[in-house]
Amino acid sequence: MTDISAPAPASAPDLTPSRPVYDGKLSELYGIYFRHLALMVLTLGWSRFWGRTRLRRYLWSHFAVLGDRLEYRGRGLELMIGFVLVLLMLGVWGGLIWAFWEYVLHEKSIPGLGLFDIFTFSLFFLGVPLAFVGHYAGLRYRLTRTRWRGIRCDLGGSAWGYGAKATGLHLANGLCGQLLTPLMSVLLAQPRIANARLGTQRLEFAGRSGDIYGRFIGYYFLNILAWIVAIAVAVTAATWGGRSLGIVEKDVTELFTHFTPRTVLILIGLAFALYVLFGVMILPLRCWWQAYLWRYLVSRTRAGTVLFASAMSTRQMWGFLVLNYLIVMVTLGLGWPWVAHRTARLIAGQLWLYGSPDGASIRQPPDRPPRFGEGLLEMFDVTGV
Amino acid sequence: MAARTRYYDGVTAQALDVTVRPSTHELVISRTEGIDVVARWPIGEVRILGDSEHEAVPPLAHGDERLMVEDAELRRQIALAVPQLAKLGAPKPSATGRIAIFGTTFAALLGLFWVGIDFGSELAAPMVPYSLQARLGNSVMKELVAGHQLCTSPAGLAAINGLANRLAKAADYGHPVKVTIIRGGPINAFTLPGGQLLFYSDLIDKAHDGNEVAGVLAHEMGHAVHYHSMKGLARQYGLNQLLRLMTGGYSDLGTVGAGGGLLLALQNGRNFERDADSTGVLLLEKLGLRADGIAEFFADLEKAHPTDMAAQLGIWSTHPPTAERIAATKRPPTGKPAFSDEEWAALKAVCGSNKENNPVPERFRQKPLATVPTPPPAKEPPGLPPPGKR
Repeated sequence: MTDISAPAPASAPDLTPSRPVYDGKLSELYGIYFRHLALMVLTLGWSRFWGRTRLRRYLWSHFAVLGDRLEYRGRGLELMIGFVLVLLMLGVWGGLIWAFWEYVLHEKSIPGLGLFDIFTFSLFFLGVPLAFVGHYAGLRYRLTRTRWRGIRCDLGGSAWGYGAKATGLHLANGLCGQLLTPLMSVLLAQPRIANARLGTQRLEFAGRSGDIYGRFIGYYFLNILAWIVAIAVAVTAATWGGRSLGIVEKDVTELFTHFTPRTVLILIGLAFALYVLFGVMILPLRCWWQAYLWRYLVSRTRAGTVLFASAMSTRQMWGFLVLNYLIVMVTLGLGWPWVAHRTARLIAGQLWLYGSPDGASIRQPPDRPPRFGEGLLEMFDVTGV
Repeated sequence: MAARTRYYDGVTAQALDVTVRPSTHELVISRTEGIDVVARWPIGEVRILGDSEHEAVPPLAHGDERLMVEDAELRRQIALAVPQLAKLGAPKPSATGRIAIFGTTFAALLGLFWVGIDFGSELAAPMVPYSLQARLGNSVMKELVAGHQLCTSPAGLAAINGLANRLAKAADYGHPVKVTIIRGGPINAFTLPGGQLLFYSDLIDKAHDGNEVAGVLAHEMGHAVHYHSMKGLARQYGLNQLLRLMTGGYSDLGTVGAGGGLLLALQNGRNFERDADSTGVLLLEKLGLRADGIAEFFADLEKAHPTDMAAQLGIWSTHPPTAERIAATKRPPTGKPAFSDEEWAALKAVCGSNKENNPVPERFRQKPLATVPTPPPAKEPPGLPPPGKR
């Protein structure tokens, strides 16, 4: 007989692990990309907003979480309007600079510094914080155009606040010899994660920089040591190699001023040697830290009852940070779809979800999405897709 | 991914596995075949989001509600049953075919764009309204002469401007040419858009005779009549656009591209110099003037600087090697002198014999400045070789 007065055991939360699934095909992605490139040349680049949208639609819709595909519902026109608005803002800024030059400075400033120089400098100084604002606003745009199970994603918070915070933290980090990197990484991840939501379901972030400082300090000093050793190795190899091959300064000058197939071969060899040295000594360390940081940030994120984890290894981070970069560079940009495909597969392979959300409690977000997007990001930052 | 049909109600994030029954006027969505209906969508209100090329499964939408039919065969059947949803049954286009078509188109367009830059700049540069060219030239001239003293002796300027305009006429240039002379060095001359020529007085001072200056002037006229400065600008702009389109604005690639662009610009520069050399000689010969001046001038330069920087720099140089230029422009010392003795004397004295300050004329002044800053007369003009090497 069962004692019905005894308390029932609390039901264990469902922590069934699952991974996203990416089922895109590289050949299909290339078909879309080549069309995008051809239209770019025909329209002198103005089709890029639509091309980017098509590529996103492909990537998003081939990505499924818990069996349900993502939807990307952004429009090229929205991106173009965002870009044109920022162009207009720049025009107004240019007008203000001109008025200042004409009526306040009376065309007289530091010798050699013309109106155009002042405008360029002002953009340089404004561009850094605006790029951060653009990063946040761009993320907001992409999230609000993304749906899962018909529910729109969203990102709260202020892009300008994020821009100010990111600018201040980067400045402080630079002044402190990059020693604030863990603090900066956590403080900047916090608004990007904790302000994101799927409908009414917020993401939560519980990261603390103190958790990762130990690893970072190890990386920091190992990195300095690795640079010293790498430079010493490079200088020794160049001096010894030059002497043993009987190369004098004149030969080097001749080599670099009159291109021959031999010059190209030597340059490729040199670039390869430098890359191997850099790749062996420096990059693995950096990837080791970045993989750790990624795992940490993911593991401190949750969405209601869903927990996240990642098993990204140093080697996989190398493939993401270094190999992807090399692919794009070596192929002069034509390898971009390959990189996007590799990245999607990496995320699908290395992002683990534990549990599933209570779908009935997640509703459409109350806020209206932004009408346009990514203008600042387009103008002040290098954007992929 | 399992071939199933998922229904999202658009209100919550619940997902249901459903079956769909299409009819001519509605889609009936139910949890099990025909029973437990969860939604009825009037056909007129159903939209297909996207297409089979870009979407793995083009969603069917009714407001915020979604229906994801994973099974391609079922999508085809719905498309057959409901003509308004015919697009849903479209097969995925062949990736290979699209790569072949668009890849070839892209390559062909790049080639065309390249040809367009090369030939387009050749054709378009002379068509740029002369007023615009003159304005552009004037603004660059303003920058170049700022803070320098100009040589303004009327007789000297008349001599050099007279020859310049005779050469322009011989080339059917059709626009007035104006020569401005800056006091001092380096030993150089420039051509700006709109028929504006800029000489440094050191070039005139160091020349052995008027024919050498005439040779340089004719060379600069070669640049002017071929609109090299406008062509250079147009090509640079076109090349930047091409690189931007090719690399999708990827910044590091842009840097690599800019390096390539710079090399091409320098190659253009060397070709322009060769054109200007040969045109300059032709123009002098056409006027029956001595055409050996430019080669003599180059020979003097070579003597003064035996290490030829242009040859040293090779592909990084804006000019061809001096020895090559001497060989290309070598002419016999026949023909009339380009300047009369009086004209040559006036030109030698264009900066004033007592080296008095010649302020920048009004048209080049930066407007609101009350006085143009005039640096004290230099004891040693910049750019000259050290005394031991003169």
